Amino acid sequence: MLRKLVKHEFRATGRVMLPMYLILLVTAVGANISGRGLIGSSYWILDTLAVLVVMAFGFAIAGACLLAFLLMIQRFYKNLLQDEGYLMMTLPVSIHQHIWAKLIVSTVWFILTILAIIISAMVVAYDVGFLSEFFNELLKLLHGFLKLNAGEAVNGVVVLIEGIALIFLAMAAFSLQFYAALAVGHSFANHKLLTSVGCFFAIQFVMQFATGAFFVSADRFGFFRFMNRWSPTPIVAVHVGMLMLIAGTVIYGAIFYGITTFFLKRRLNLE
Amino acid sequence: MPVLECKELCKVYGRIPALDRVSLTVEPGRIVGLLGPNGSGKTTLIKVANGLLTPEAGYISVCGFAPGRESRAQVSYLPERTAIPTWMTAVQLLDFYGDFYADFRRDAAIEMLEHLNIQPRQSIRQMSKGTREKVQLIMVMSRAARLYLLDEPIGGVDPATRDYILSTIIGNYNPDAAVILSTHLIADVEKVLDDVIFINQGQVVLQSSVDEIREEKGMSVDALFREVFKC
Amino acid sequence: MRWEFSNDAPIYTQLIQQIKVGIVAGVFPPGERLPSVRDLATEAGVNPNTMQRALAELERDGLVYSQRTAGRFVTEDKEMIRRAKRSLAERHIKTFLEAMLRLGFQREEIIALLRQELEEEKEYAGTGM
Repeated sequence: MLRKLVKHEFRATGRVMLPMYLILLVTAVGANISGRGLIGSSYWILDTLAVLVVMAFGFAIAGACLLAFLLMIQRFYKNLLQDEGYLMMTLPVSIHQHIWAKLIVSTVWFILTILAIIISAMVVAYDVGFLSEFFNELLKLLHGFLKLNAGEAVNGVVVLIEGIALIFLAMAAFSLQFYAALAVGHSFANHKLLTSVGCFFAIQFVMQFATGAFFVSADRFGFFRFMNRWSPTPIVAVHVGMLMLIAGTVIYGAIFYGITTFFLKRRLNLE
Repeated sequence: MPVLECKELCKVYGRIPALDRVSLTVEPGRIVGLLGPNGSGKTTLIKVANGLLTPEAGYISVCGFAPGRESRAQVSYLPERTAIPTWMTAVQLLDFYGDFYADFRRDAAIEMLEHLNIQPRQSIRQMSKGTREKVQLIMVMSRAARLYLLDEPIGGVDPATRDYILSTIIGNYNPDAAVILSTHLIADVEKVLDDVIFINQGQVVLQSSVDEIREEKGMSVDALFREVFKC
Repeated sequence: MRWEFSNDAPIYTQLIQQIKVGIVAGVFPPGERLPSVRDLATEAGVNPNTMQRALAELERDGLVYSQRTAGRFVTEDKEMIRRAKRSLAERHIKTFLEAMLRLGFQREEIIALLRQELEEEKEYAGTGM
């Protein structure tokens, strides 16, 4: 069932995100053309047009980011907690499957948005020399990798994987914080949306407080002294740091996930 | 085994009781009318049975389960509002229902869409309010469920469609399944019902069969309703 | 067949009456198979259980009999149908008489009125009206 939920979620969101990416691409091509001599052209109309197109590209980037973010909130709110919730929440699927479907799809759109922006930026910068230069640099980078010894190579790849995992997890945790706030807010009888906003900041405050408290107690129990005495090599320190960040993000996300499922399962009150 | 069973069910909105110690049983093979004035608790009861509202106290069992994933596979629910995503077309909606419900009869749905002259490629957004309600009802009635919970199925449609809906309910009759429908248009549904449940201010006032009422009181359910709920 | 229901009597008794009329009037001829409960219920716009109950009652009276797999049939006993016709007629006459008595007519006046009315109808028929 999760697969089907994800499929329909992509259907519902794709019709919004894909046209946005198209706009991004079109304005990127426009900005590219504008960059080839239209700006600063002696005809003021062409010059203004070029500036406008470049601005449009800027807006398209901001728009894509904002859209992916708003869509993440809107899909959870409108599809599960508003009128459509009457349909979705009576499907024979579990709350866990609902949340995972929303989470997977919004995270994928976040990543795709980043990729789309990178690609469109490359389109803007593209000229005859650009691609060959880009691949030259890539080749040099690869060449550099080949010169590394086995240890360095493995460590580098692992850090890269850790970084990507962290990005994924951070995005999921980010979404889950909004889900949790909405789920708690909508368990109340009145002022559901307002309560949700309040819950968001309350959760934010509590989590910051808890994080602070954690570090203070970690210090008290001698964690930092231990780290100082251990004095690991830089690369090990990076790994430890990355893994701690990942663990922290997972704990954050798990707490939000727990709050969301509890309230949707046990305290659901669709108006 | 009853398809719906409630014992001392309570639901409170703020301080106002929406359901006040509701106890009732609905057996398979029955078509039951849930009747009451506006705000009497009909919708609340149906939503609790669907797990869309969490009761404060009491016991409820739907097809042998607490409202949840297992019960939802066997319950076909018509909400009192348009819940189908309006960006979809009727065809996309057929895919959606077919994907999630093993008991969805796509052929039956297509036949009903044709019978009511609904364009399957038109998006729900472009349809009139009455047509949206028809589409939603078609999806709900096209399932071979064990319990149909229909919240105001005939409220917003014209008399001809009303007749079609009621004859669909009759034609769909299955001795293993029960239909519960809420309405205040009693005269229209009276002949279709086995039993009626009168509900007022969150309490069950009366549960009886239609012919029992006619036999004992010598009046129609509609007339009895007007007497019981006289303003 | 037209199905009409009043508000004061149970629906299943009204169904019994109307199916009887159908049998007597030949809508459901002797020995013919009746439509299924579901089809009859859909046609009459009534609950299938109520229709089932009415048919069971008719079966007990003998106007209808069921064969295990083939469904329900109208009786072939013409005499029984004639009796049913007669009893339906008696009911109509009874209600007619009650209404006339309420209006204050004497028995002789009623018969006279009835005769007069029948003569007029015959005349209309004679003039081809």
